[in-house]
Amino acid sequence: MRGTTPRREQGMADPVLASMVHAMGLETARHYTAATPKIQAYRDSWVKLAKFRDGPVNPQHVEVSDPATVAQQIKAKAMALGANMVGICRLQPHMIDLGEDVSHEFVIVACVAEDYERVLHGASAVEEEAMRAYAKCTEIATALAAHVRNLGYPARAHHNGASEVQAIPIFYQVGFGELGRNGSLINEKYGASFRPGFVTTDLPLVEDRPREFGVQDFCMNCNVCQLNCPGDAISKDHVVTRGIKRWLIDLEKCYPYSRLRDEYCHLCVDVCPYNVKSHPETFKAFMKERKQVGYKTPTSW
Amino acid sequence: MEKLYVNEIGSNGEASTVGLFYSRGEAEQIIAQLQRIPEKSDCRYEIVEIASGSSSTDLSQA
Repeated sequence: MRGTTPRREQGMADPVLASMVHAMGLETARHYTAATPKIQAYRDSWVKLAKFRDGPVNPQHVEVSDPATVAQQIKAKAMALGANMVGICRLQPHMIDLGEDVSHEFVIVACVAEDYERVLHGASAVEEEAMRAYAKCTEIATALAAHVRNLGYPARAHHNGASEVQAIPIFYQVGFGELGRNGSLINEKYGASFRPGFVTTDLPLVEDRPREFGVQDFCMNCNVCQLNCPGDAISKDHVVTRGIKRWLIDLEKCYPYSRLRDEYCHLCVDVCPYNVKSHPETFKAFMKERKQVGYKTPTSW
Repeated sequence: MEKLYVNEIGSNGEASTVGLFYSRGEAEQIIAQLQRIPEKSDCRYEIVEIASGSSSTDLSQA
């Protein structure tokens, strides 16, 4: 199956970032050179695991008579490996990178929630936590793909180290939530404070369904991420893709804060009110602290 | 830096935003790749330039 969705390259392979960095007379973005040893170790971990994302399939495969039971077992396995949310859907062309060919029928997504308490410890702590979650997702996806191949079915892990799939359309299709104004998918429990790993496979499974619980309508009225984005990179108006509202992030405005400084910027995720459901006290403390230094909140608050 | 939306218009006239791009070359390259996909042979594409200083346009109202 050929992919149809353009992928924006990450790091210096991204032409927008590269042109901004070169215009500053630099060779690379400060965000990447300023990584702490811990963050660098997390990044190295997914590079190392990239070569294990696919492998030989057990020639004696387990017969599947009840895909629903197998789906539950796969989800339980992913949770036992450390995932906080697991979903399954049929792989579709718009979930695959433009030009890439992935022949598998299903995609499993396993997400690890970030520890939202870290927001109170500042930008570096938030970044370390995000990278920890990505590294954990890489481990889970790698182990889950190996488990499925051991059952006798092809399976490939997709994670920060190497991937041909797109996170957001898969999140939406498995029912993790809806797209929010900050460009991330918003889950009712974790907001956008979670990171994913994926496994594509031909193991017969039962798919989950999209779930809508009012995020897009909420975002139409709440603009706290837009009000507080230091780069004014979050748009007021939305566009529509396949009937789904999207607020596209302006990278030219985002990168000076998220890539060209030493410190991370995770603010649009941290201020999202959907964090309040899982961490009510921390969210209130975080926003109170931020308001004291001039952060804005909607007039309806 | 110029800002350009690429929109996909299906055979039924339904418009869908592919993404926001920052050079005409990048936008045209994406369109060329999309046009090579047999399932999208009925689609047409348009590049919409965003006025300088604006981060977005509400294309759903267009």
